[in-house]
Amino acid sequence: MERFIAGLVKDFESGKLDRREFCQTVALAAVVYGAGEAANAQAARGFKMIGINHISYSCPDYAKARDFYASVLGMESTPGKDNGKRANLMFGPEPGKGGSFIVARTAPADAKPSRAVVDHVCYTIANWDEQRVRSALKAKGLEVGGRDGSLHVFDPFGYYVQIASAEAENAFRR
Amino acid sequence: MEGFVAHKLAEYEQGKISRRRLIETLTLAATAAHAADRAAAAEQPALKAALVNHISYTCPNFRQAADWYSKVFNLDQIGARDRDVALPFGKKGEQPYNVAARDVPLTHLIFRTRDLNPAPAPGEAPRPKVQAVVDHVAYTVADFDREKAKAELKSLGVENVREGGLYSLHMTDPFGYDVQISGLANNALTDG
Repeated sequence: MERFIAGLVKDFESGKLDRREFCQTVALAAVVYGAGEAANAQAARGFKMIGINHISYSCPDYAKARDFYASVLGMESTPGKDNGKRANLMFGPEPGKGGSFIVARTAPADAKPSRAVVDHVCYTIANWDEQRVRSALKAKGLEVGGRDGSLHVFDPFGYYVQIASAEAENAFRR
Repeated sequence: MEGFVAHKLAEYEQGKISRRRLIETLTLAATAAHAADRAAAAEQPALKAALVNHISYTCPNFRQAADWYSKVFNLDQIGARDRDVALPFGKKGEQPYNVAARDVPLTHLIFRTRDLNPAPAPGEAPRPKVQAVVDHVAYTVADFDREKAKAELKSLGVENVREGGLYSLHMTDPFGYDVQISGLANNALTDG
């Protein structure tokens, strides 16, 4: 910018620009520069979301939760991360490449109440086949509720777990 | 299995093993094979979660919560209704990060204001008592740098920003809910 202004001054001094042209050009340059700054500042605000890193799930017995999510939703307990009080249950892309996990913990139920609650989590099943999904859930001894493409069960601690297809649960099809 | 049976049968026919031995061997082989099938079936999960589809967040004022998450995570609000709104993690047509399957949509957050303990509808069984809680949700963000993130959160007016180990930060949303952010370095192999 400084070099640009210096060039304008030189042009003004040499008579290539009159006073009016000089002032208009500097003013225009300032507007363009300011707009660019504002755009950059706006883009830099906040964070770019990649995905869910983990869901911290506290319950009376983490082992029951671990076994449920591994058995019903195919999550994998991370080797070396089960310490008898918590386990990391991986799913989705690989760890470190966008994968998610549930941290299942044994924790007291008298945690400080929040004014907000995550009342359920819904998981996408690829290659959705309604009959296959229903049968798989029933084979685990679960009561299955819901509608076509979007089913739900309760985990061992009464937590509502939703399982859905891309067609039935999609933010862009609300 | 079939080849094994044929082989044992040939041995019996050639007098290499007794009839009793043949029966014992084939019985053992058949039951072992069946047990292996059952074990494999038990170990193989019938379903596999591909990704979080959505997280349902209920609070006294869903618009206030949605505005906060929009501001902090640069998320658009779509499909607003009287009592809820969705915030997808990207634009329409985009794929989730590192997911190739075309039938796995972008994860989204749903912010709601509603009664969490409604009376069951006629003929519907009451819900079981909930003994578990999702006490926080952690989000992966691009280019995470703890010190820069701290400054950014401060400039956004985010409250109660605190350390979350080497790879993350915790903060509190407008309704006192614990929110964690980190980069890809915080994952199932490094956390805990």
